Amino acid sequence: MKAAKIWVLVLALVLIAAACGGDDDTEAGTTDDGDGGAETTEAAGDEGGEDTSGDDAGGDEGADGEAAELATDFGVTDDEIRIGYNADLSGIFATTVLPIIEATEVYWEVVNENGGIAGREVVPVILDNAYDVPKHLENYEVFTGDGAESVVMIGQSTGSPHTAATAELLVEDEIAAIPLTWYSGWPDPEFGQNVFEVQTTYCVESHNGMTYMAENFGDKVAIISFPGEYGQDGAQGAKLAAEKLGLEVVYDGEGAVVPGSDQTPVITEIVNSGADFVWTTINPTTLSEIMGGAVSQGFTGMWSGNSPSWGFQLLGTDLAEAADQFYVYSTYTALWNTDDTPGMTEVVEAMREKRPDAPVSDLYLLGWINGMIVQQVLEQAAANGDMTRAGVTEAARQITVDLKGLAPNQSWGGDPNDFIVRESYIYDIDLANFTPNGTVSDEDAGTGYTLIQGPFASPLAEEFVYDGPCFVAE
Amino acid sequence: MERLRSFKPLSSPSTTFITGALIAAVVFYVVRAIIEPEVMIQTLAKALGLGATYAIVALGFVLIFKGTQVVNFAQGALAMIGALFVSFLAVDEHIPLTTIKNPLIGIGPEWFGWGLSVVVALFFAGILGLVLERVVIRPMIGQPLFSVAVITLGLETMLRTMANDSVRIQLRPLGIPWGTGGFTVGGETNDAGITTGGAFIAWSYVAAVITAIVAFLAVFFFYRSRMGVAMRATAFDQEAAMAQGINVGRVFAIAWIAGTILAAIGGIFATQPPIAQTGAAQVETQFIAFRALPAVILGGLDSVQGALVGGMIIGLAEITAGQYLSQYAGTLGSGYPLIVPYLVMIVGLLVRPYGIFGTPEVRRV
Repeated sequence: MKAAKIWVLVLALVLIAAACGGDDDTEAGTTDDGDGGAETTEAAGDEGGEDTSGDDAGGDEGADGEAAELATDFGVTDDEIRIGYNADLSGIFATTVLPIIEATEVYWEVVNENGGIAGREVVPVILDNAYDVPKHLENYEVFTGDGAESVVMIGQSTGSPHTAATAELLVEDEIAAIPLTWYSGWPDPEFGQNVFEVQTTYCVESHNGMTYMAENFGDKVAIISFPGEYGQDGAQGAKLAAEKLGLEVVYDGEGAVVPGSDQTPVITEIVNSGADFVWTTINPTTLSEIMGGAVSQGFTGMWSGNSPSWGFQLLGTDLAEAADQFYVYSTYTALWNTDDTPGMTEVVEAMREKRPDAPVSDLYLLGWINGMIVQQVLEQAAANGDMTRAGVTEAARQITVDLKGLAPNQSWGGDPNDFIVRESYIYDIDLANFTPNGTVSDEDAGTGYTLIQGPFASPLAEEFVYDGPCFVAE
Repeated sequence: MERLRSFKPLSSPSTTFITGALIAAVVFYVVRAIIEPEVMIQTLAKALGLGATYAIVALGFVLIFKGTQVVNFAQGALAMIGALFVSFLAVDEHIPLTTIKNPLIGIGPEWFGWGLSVVVALFFAGILGLVLERVVIRPMIGQPLFSVAVITLGLETMLRTMANDSVRIQLRPLGIPWGTGGFTVGGETNDAGITTGGAFIAWSYVAAVITAIVAFLAVFFFYRSRMGVAMRATAFDQEAAMAQGINVGRVFAIAWIAGTILAAIGGIFATQPPIAQTGAAQVETQFIAFRALPAVILGGLDSVQGALVGGMIIGLAEITAGQYLSQYAGTLGSGYPLIVPYLVMIVGLLVRPYGIFGTPEVRRV
């Protein structure tokens, strides 16, 4: 009994020490006064080192060693800038999001080694939303509070329903968010005013993908999707495209795919539909279940879908041969080490240096692009002398982000029809280009693709008039 | 079995309901078999595959419950870990959690080395079950069962979190020799060798059914051994069993070893059709325990034959509803197949509150 008491005492002391330690770490250097009012700090001198960005507004100021005044409120102190990542680290898209976060971390390591932004170290604050809306909102409260994990902007917000749940709050809190979701509601000034979407939307992507599939594989399509802003936005885009292209929708499975459920109903409908191709807006493991089930039952139509439906990891599974034969990959960016653009060279070299044993993945490019965007936004804000949340949000509307060939450049100012991205990429799944267990350090490691087309905008996408989201949840 | 023999079809409202439901089901299957025989063959084969997998997982729940009176909420995580052990041994070709190369790879034909690796993986799973029992369950003998159940919830969280780290970025293939392959009954084969129509029956369905038969036979004969009788006595009354000189600790250990091995087998089949198509351990693999839970409850938590019957009923209901109600998904809601097992379980419990073969709890006032 005495021993038990000692253990309880030790445990209590450890917990107290841990709690105190956390406070000490996180409060250091915080300039927040807690009332939400902006204050001014001096931009610290750049300690030296080469900045990797081409447009280094804040960095130049620091490099000159001149102390410029910066307005700040939350998430920016004299020596650090905190960026929030509300990311799915354990939910149904964790397989996709974890490599993205990994590359983002590498990006900030490189930036910080080169002096940071405005002489400050960039600190990514990464919280797991588990692809769960309530958890996402909890994390959002942490980011937008005035505590130790408050941030100046949200660098990644995973999930369409999740980001939608915060869309109005973002405006109220005057904070910008970069979504890891391509929902067509984000460019809508009435809805996604502070959500700065990167690359094309699911809806426009569906226009490009459906055009390619119809031109090459036939005019009968089955459409399947998850319920919600992600799945149904892609499905609505596919239906709009089908209508404009004169295709016959032989099975409308919009919202019919529920993750974790037995997919027999969807498989049955696809097999019986006689479709020439299937357009999907789901996730990789559910795709494997439905596509594998349908192919094994003799369905010989082709498959494609919005980018998150596919994951190259499936090429390491029993689905590989069917995917090689039947799947066409639509996505938003160049893929790992497939060209020699400046952006590709940077990300490949950085990953090899910082994470030499990391498995090869195309998703690093999304993380890297995310870092490029956040950096250029923050540098613009620093150049404006306003690194408050509102100032950073305003800065995002002023710039065109140079993505160095990794994807079409991006801006957010003015009318959505002027800035929405209409280009996407189409790849053939090619097992011959896939390296099982390849690492980023392998010169020849591939993720299993051959570029067919891209970046390209189909005539449908070019003519697309943006007048609001393609899908709105009731 | 005794309860089955004493079943009188129209003796009470509940037996009348069961009889009516059985007759309706038989009529439905006969009619559909006449209209579309190939679809019916495929549906039944798929249902057998799913039902057999549920029955295997349910048997694991039942053995642990019979041995220790505890519902082990960690079965899903143990299923996932079992599948991971196979992946480490057969595909990564090393001993789990080490860099030591698996010496069984390369012995005989590829399938033989894989089979030996699975045996070793199940051995490791059994060891894990033994360790868990010794470290966290054995010290709780005599303590409130609720506390032990909560401990298994804690175990589930720990094991699941660790296992998820292995599959989050890369799916973990198990290298199963038959993959997603199978054979087709009927149908037409074109010049490209692709068969359309007919009833597709995956080899994984066949493997699951054979494995379930072997597992249930093994448990059937085990229960007739000296140790099996000791386990049944312990399940009936722990204190009385101890008073009779039965080593209750050993019973606990055997229950956990067997339960963990069965969870691991369930985990292997959870990577295969009809549950998944990747042949790889993934985050969803662990959900097999929760999908099998209605089968456990429906069959009776303390009944081996209940696990088999419950598994088959739930598998049949889930696949049949998925196949034949798909055109009504718009009305029923797209997630309706998720509800079917629980609906069947609820109806079953309303008729037989302790499950089809469960032992009614006798309370004296």
